[in-house]
Amino acid sequence: MGEVLLEVKGMCKNYGIITALKNVDLKICRGEVHGLVGENGSGKSTITSIAAGMQPKTSGEMFFKGQPWNPSSMIEAQHNGISMILQEANTIGGCTVAENIFAGKEDEYSRFGIVDKKRMNRDADVVLDKFGIKHMRGKDPIDKFGFEDRKLVEIARAVTDETEILVVDETTTALSLEGREILYKIVDDLVAKDKAVIFISHDMDEILEKCTILTVLRDGEIRGCITSQEIKDANAVGTIRQLMVGRDIGDKMYRSDFDPSCDKEVVLEFKNVSGPNVIDFSLELHKGEIVGLGGLSGCGMHEVGRMAFGMEEVDKGHVKAHGLEVLSAKDAVAKKIGYISKNRDTEAVILQGPIEDNIVLPSLGDLTTASFLSPKKKKNMSDEQIKLLEIKCQNGKQWVSTLSGGNKQKVSFAKWIAKGSEIIIMDCPTRGVDIGVKQAMYELIMQMKKDGKAILMISEEMAEIIGMADRLIVMKDSKIAKEFTRNKDLSETDVIEYMI
Amino acid sequence: MLKKFNKEWASSHASDLLSYGGLVLCIIVFAILSGGNLFSPYNLRILIQAVCVYAVLSLGAMFVYSMGYMDISVSAQVGVYSILCILIANSTGSILLAFLVILALALVCGFINGYVAVMLGLPSIVTSIFLMSIFGGVQALIMEKLALNSVSINVDISFFKNTGFMVAMIIVVAIIAIYLYKYTPLGEITKSIGANERATEYSGISTTKWKVLAYAFFGVTVALGAFLLTARTGAAGKGTGMGYAMDIMVALLLGGMPLSGGMKSKISSALIGSFTYVILSNGLILSGVDTKMVYIIKAIVFIAVILITCRKKDGVLPR
Repeated sequence: MGEVLLEVKGMCKNYGIITALKNVDLKICRGEVHGLVGENGSGKSTITSIAAGMQPKTSGEMFFKGQPWNPSSMIEAQHNGISMILQEANTIGGCTVAENIFAGKEDEYSRFGIVDKKRMNRDADVVLDKFGIKHMRGKDPIDKFGFEDRKLVEIARAVTDETEILVVDETTTALSLEGREILYKIVDDLVAKDKAVIFISHDMDEILEKCTILTVLRDGEIRGCITSQEIKDANAVGTIRQLMVGRDIGDKMYRSDFDPSCDKEVVLEFKNVSGPNVIDFSLELHKGEIVGLGGLSGCGMHEVGRMAFGMEEVDKGHVKAHGLEVLSAKDAVAKKIGYISKNRDTEAVILQGPIEDNIVLPSLGDLTTASFLSPKKKKNMSDEQIKLLEIKCQNGKQWVSTLSGGNKQKVSFAKWIAKGSEIIIMDCPTRGVDIGVKQAMYELIMQMKKDGKAILMISEEMAEIIGMADRLIVMKDSKIAKEFTRNKDLSETDVIEYMI
Repeated sequence: MLKKFNKEWASSHASDLLSYGGLVLCIIVFAILSGGNLFSPYNLRILIQAVCVYAVLSLGAMFVYSMGYMDISVSAQVGVYSILCILIANSTGSILLAFLVILALALVCGFINGYVAVMLGLPSIVTSIFLMSIFGGVQALIMEKLALNSVSINVDISFFKNTGFMVAMIIVVAIIAIYLYKYTPLGEITKSIGANERATEYSGISTTKWKVLAYAFFGVTVALGAFLLTARTGAAGKGTGMGYAMDIMVALLLGGMPLSGGMKSKISSALIGSFTYVILSNGLILSGVDTKMVYIIKAIVFIAVILITCRKKDGVLPR
């Protein structure tokens, strides 16, 4: 074991009456990739964000390289060697890639108050090359790039020569396959230089492969530590899950049956649809059927979902629900279609608002009789959903922004269950959600299937759609590449072959 | 535990405490400074007449501010409506007709701010700047054509000038606005738009329709406000209506309304704010403060309120 780089002693963090961390002790040593695992809300990001200067601790001590460590800002922390790549998007729109990479460091590039853009762009290119990011250049406007690429810019900004500890918080879920390789390489390089990495992820395979030591958290407390020997153990996943959830959830993540049958009634139909990033797409979605739509993130599958909800223009062909053309989002909702966006925090829920108002939002019309919107009916509807989906909260008045990721996602499911939607389009429904909640989501999806709802499940996670879908459609370059029917022998490698 | 609970309660009701406290403080301070003159029957009447216009306007403006939008054309609109109202009433003798004309105009403006802005893909502030310039120009033009500094109304308006009528107007408009805001989808949806317009749209709500409705209701209150102002003063001129757009904003802020709108918006802020603002202005003058100083003091109060109420993003991180 290397020298201790960061030591956390008896750290506590409270948000009002909510306790996020209770007396946490943690040691990060040189040369290790330290995995932090735990369910949403268990305090993983809280520890690292305090260490990286994003927020102050309530009590406790921190030591960095043996000295007391109390960073007042992320810039100070980064300057001294602790950098963090955040969970949510954190680039500045309307600027160039270079300006994003050197945000907060303009002083180094300015003379007499004028920033030397050329030099900045040049240096940005050097940084990008160093990380093997070839398709982005310093002078490019950041808005040209998608979510995945912007994440790479954040990585390029966070990792500098001074970096001693890099915190990777749930970053990999937001990255494309190539992006992940780039990140893994950075991690390996840091370890080779005897630096340290703190790795937060929900992807068990990734954690087992990359981390050299694991700390498991639950409800703001450390529940166990798993050493490098134990990680190699065949039973490691079981042990970790048990520590995380507090009970053994077993291997049963996805549905256990392999029966792809469903009702004959077609509820949603795509007939030779073409539009932005979609070419000649046809699909019939039946009542009680789960259709999985997979592919790489730019393959057009997200656009298909948006088209079904009337949010994307259809240039050619028809999108019909119950035999009638879908005209707009409003029309789609009237035709009993629900849509769960993959951009949960910006499109699926109103963060700065109560749970109740979020849940009833699509149903406002139903709760209104002769212009009167009954507050009682609103409350009943929301309380019913909170109970049904076991959303962890004090009451419906609590703001969604104070909920953990999994519970936020439950709120966006609750909206459409409350509305009584019969066709549910879910785009990356389990993005950034931990196993415990994931399992609950899958059960919920199965329950919806049994209730006769038609589900279009769009996902970048192959395991998930193989595990859940009756039919699996793989998209590549805006077109359907292959269709599979549910069967036992289908494996990820079979599917990935058609994706790339 | 109880102490902790109290602290929680206090922090979650901070803006309420601040706005109600501000009003009470205003009343106490000026009651003392003015030597009790604040409550003289004469001054009470003046207060109510002034509050009436502000309250009606800000009850309507609430819906627009809830969406995180603002309308700065109100001042010029009120000015033109006031002049038109007098001119039409004088030439036809019908106050009703005069009111209907300005109501129609106000609804058209609401439609422009709500619908045309969306169609052209412009923020509503842009169309409201456009309207402000147009109406400002029209107001100046009419007065130039008339070659007068001000026009007075010849028709009998004593009924509308009556304090009882003014109080009744505040109550009626308040009841309608509270009903719309709390017990119809309009309030809920305007708040949702303010909090997250995209998520509202993704819930299958036609945001354009509700924007138009919100601006339409505001239009109604602007027409009514202009009418009440006309009834109160009995005359209008170049300067009529000046400052109302900003005054409404300050009043709403004093009432605890967040400038960005959203879920923290409360209909009570329109009423509380109007009273606080009017008492503040009136009290300063009663206490013998120079009129020019009043503007400066108002500006200081304005910035102080913003500094106190505009908190940073809630301190809870996604964990």
